[in-house]
Amino acid sequence: MQPVQLFCWHFMAYPYLAENFDQIHDTGWVTVPNSLWDNKKARGLYQEYIDQLAYADELGFDGMVLNEHHQNIYGLMPSPNIIAAALTQRSTRGKIVVLGNLLPLHMNPLRVAEEYAMLDQMSNGRLIAGFAPGGGPETFNYDIPSANTREKFWEAADLIVRSWTEDGPFAHEGRYFPLRYVNPWPKPLQTPFPPIWIPGSRSPSTMTEVAKRGYCYFLSSRSHGGETHRAQQEFAAVLEKNGDRYQPFRFGILMSAYVAESDRQAREECEEGVWYFLKNCLKGHLRREGRQLTFGPGVPYIPAPAWKEYLKDYKPGRKLLGDVENWDELEASQSIIVGSPETVYRRIWNLIERAKVGNLLIQFHIGNMPKELALKSMTRFAEQVAPRLREHSLPFFEREYPGVNIKQPKETHL
Amino acid sequence: MSGRFLDLKQGKVWLLENGRGAPLLYLHGFIDVHSVKDSWMPFHDSLAAKARVIAPAHPGCSQSDENKDIEAIEDVVFHYLEFLDALNLPQFDLVGSCVGGWIAAELAVRHPEKIRKMVLIGAAGLFVQGALIGDVFMMAQPERGSSYAGLRQMLFSRHDHPKALELFPDGMGEVEEELRRYQMLRFGSRIGFKPPYFYNRPLRNRLHRITAPALVIWGEHDRMVPLSHGETYAKSMPQAQPLKVIPNAGHSVHVEEPELMAQIISDFLAS
Repeated sequence: MQPVQLFCWHFMAYPYLAENFDQIHDTGWVTVPNSLWDNKKARGLYQEYIDQLAYADELGFDGMVLNEHHQNIYGLMPSPNIIAAALTQRSTRGKIVVLGNLLPLHMNPLRVAEEYAMLDQMSNGRLIAGFAPGGGPETFNYDIPSANTREKFWEAADLIVRSWTEDGPFAHEGRYFPLRYVNPWPKPLQTPFPPIWIPGSRSPSTMTEVAKRGYCYFLSSRSHGGETHRAQQEFAAVLEKNGDRYQPFRFGILMSAYVAESDRQAREECEEGVWYFLKNCLKGHLRREGRQLTFGPGVPYIPAPAWKEYLKDYKPGRKLLGDVENWDELEASQSIIVGSPETVYRRIWNLIERAKVGNLLIQFHIGNMPKELALKSMTRFAEQVAPRLREHSLPFFEREYPGVNIKQPKETHL
Repeated sequence: MSGRFLDLKQGKVWLLENGRGAPLLYLHGFIDVHSVKDSWMPFHDSLAAKARVIAPAHPGCSQSDENKDIEAIEDVVFHYLEFLDALNLPQFDLVGSCVGGWIAAELAVRHPEKIRKMVLIGAAGLFVQGALIGDVFMMAQPERGSSYAGLRQMLFSRHDHPKALELFPDGMGEVEEELRRYQMLRFGSRIGFKPPYFYNRPLRNRLHRITAPALVIWGEHDRMVPLSHGETYAKSMPQAQPLKVIPNAGHSVHVEEPELMAQIISDFLAS
């Protein structure tokens, strides 16, 4: 058993939008005009963001997290592998979590197998390989037909793992990615292959596919009220059904945090960045205002019977994270945890205790937050919050899951 | 009107049938029987006064089985060849609207001998430089969580047309109706999401193979499939009449002007 694993996630938002962006533009995704990009301001931005992630490694975070987005202001990493490559040379200890490469967008999954293997070699075996199918915006960005994207995704994921575990060359006789010669050089350093994480938003079919293969399920939803606990219970039940058993490191969540000397100071310092994030970065994604592209009838990737079930509970007026109107609503969403070290510790501990989650992926740089504040919050978290979370989570997990092997299975169950 | 299933190798097909006379195969689009209604709409009723109208639901639409093997328009054409064999329809009149018009054209270039007369209404399917077919998928993502005004504006002459408001209301409608629209989008995404959107480049140079008399009808304000596509269809089929443009109507011209459309089509088929 091990204590809770604390990761630093950086989204690399575009931080230079004008104050009236929300009044003028109906989305931050796909069609947000790139004439807004300002080279005078943005020069050196990637360096600044990479520095923050390298600093997380120095502070002793268990890893750094990157992900893939296209044509938006929320995350400037169309290729997270490029940032990951930089991090292999700028960090020495922490895992490099790419969560993930969006497999249906890649012409050929072999390329993902190759790049991940390179990253694993370059980082001396520190890669955690994430595979994701991509959400609505990516469907539009790359013109990916929705109806069969899940099947394509799993074919690609299985091909990648097979290419890492089975000696080549072999022919892949797949439907979507037929390949005559699969024979990647290099192989990954970790054997039999790097840990694999798959994001989902509580769809039972994704949970089942993840469980069958022995991978880690990552809840991509950003709100952590009862939903996180429910997701954990659902995933645990799916694991049981597959003859497996839940343990905290089969599960991960995404949250945001800001820590300062006191609750009041924390809020004062981060509020501008938080509202920038909620109102600009989430516009088009987790916000009803404008046109929300992430999920809906225009990206019909869910089979009709499952969509029918979804419709039965659907409430059109329901607020998303980006729709919160004031600080109290934001606090209630339990998505962005702001406060003194004591407050942040307490709220995260409650989450761990309730949802039995072992992998916490935490966003520290929020919206257009100045780097000094992000670094200060990370430092305070690493020094005053993380040690307590680690100290208390280890005996808690040992008590709850005695004798459980936390390693990913050596072979997939397929 | 009667509905029934036809069992094909690739799954069940749900079809509605009504009227007497020469067989007329009707292939539906986004705003149509099977995609917004589970029964005839006034347009189809009027057509059925003069013909035996047969309207199958596309695979995955309404009660037809989904067919996961459908990835391109070619697969849909073969689906309909199986369907026609099962119905034992050697020759028929073919009417298609929107995506259904595209399927009709693709069927006709491959089997011109099966078509007695053909009518295309706001048909997708062509690539016309500088006139991309509208992104119905993005418009189907509601604004402010519940407004489909953008979708209505694309599919009708105006977003507040009474028919538009009835068929694509804001907010959450009946589950069955929401589901029906979703199924049509899902079917559409199989064949129409790439390239953007709903076209097959080689189709245009194949249209000369359609030797049946043809009529192409377009709403003046079609914002999903631009008018230039209608002109291209009408110019490229040797026996086509000049493009018939219905003033003040949008893409869903058969819904906005059902009587007029049924009259024009029935007259053409009878002539």
